[in-house]
Amino acid sequence: MHELSMAQAIVDTVLDAAEKNNATEVVEVTIEVGMLTMLNPEQLKFLLDVIVEDTILKNAEIIIEDVPVEIECRGCEFTGLANTDGSDHYLAIVVCPECGERNVEVLTGKECNVKTIKIEKSDEDA
Amino acid sequence: MHKVAEVEVQHDIMVANRKLARKNQRILDKDRVFSVDVVGAIGSGKTSLIEAIIDAVDYKIGVIAGDVISKYDAGRFEKHGVPVVGLNTGKECHLDAHLVEHALHDLPLEDIDVLFIENVGNLICPVDFDLGSHMRMVVISVTEGDDTVEKHPLIFQDADLVVINKVDLADAVGADSDKMVSDVAEINPEVQVIKTSLKTGKGFDDVIGAINIFINEN
Repeated sequence: MHELSMAQAIVDTVLDAAEKNNATEVVEVTIEVGMLTMLNPEQLKFLLDVIVEDTILKNAEIIIEDVPVEIECRGCEFTGLANTDGSDHYLAIVVCPECGERNVEVLTGKECNVKTIKIEKSDEDA
Repeated sequence: MHKVAEVEVQHDIMVANRKLARKNQRILDKDRVFSVDVVGAIGSGKTSLIEAIIDAVDYKIGVIAGDVISKYDAGRFEKHGVPVVGLNTGKECHLDAHLVEHALHDLPLEDIDVLFIENVGNLICPVDFDLGSHMRMVVISVTEGDDTVEKHPLIFQDADLVVINKVDLADAVGADSDKMVSDVAEINPEVQVIKTSLKTGKGFDDVIGAINIFINEN
């Protein structure tokens, strides 16, 4: 259960970016969560909603986008979306869709990225 | 009047940990310390395995003992006369690169050849957190049930060595250790899997040999 520490790191990142851009309020936060992380998006969202109280994020809409697993195969050099064994979000075994190789380099799918924020700022700063 | 603006942040929390992990590895490499991240289930025998290795090998060992409350394991290692730092994770379920960096500063790295970093007993959360170690050894035991590998595939995907411990108890708990070995091979065909019993000594020399191969290759 490390969603709480990740949620705190996300909030710190957003507040830092908001402050640098003279935001008065954050209205939307978009986060990318890779499908190979051990993060449960539902739990993450719940915890974010709890810890943003008393911050300028308190009314922000939190959008979590799943990032699919892209690989470079070490067997056949295929690059692209991997076959992930089973549909369970968190427990994917990564397989090359072309040759079935499991020895692959994972290019995407391990991120927890604060992508963009939408902020309100007063006209004087605009 | 207020104006809404979109700001590109593009700050990946995972990348922040991975950068710190690379920094840790540079610190270790500077003092020529080889490090092993030991992850595994609660009660699988991680601490006992590291204790046995300390007593069996002639290279100089150091230990970072990570746990929710670390003083118990740290106390066990201290009795073997090696430098130990206990890392309390408190409410956290895993070590991260930042915590390990702090511990590295408290260790006499110039007097250590091999550093074992014992992670919190957990097959889930450590997957997300690279610590900067040179190899990751996953320790599980038959007493967790012979479905433990298929239930936690990701931790085995990145493993460099897998130890299946307590095989002397397999019959008593009705576990098929061969199934556990083939489940690991299914997930990670490259990784070496060693069946051990610290009680009978089975497989223990093979674990030392496997770690030595990684040390020599580094």
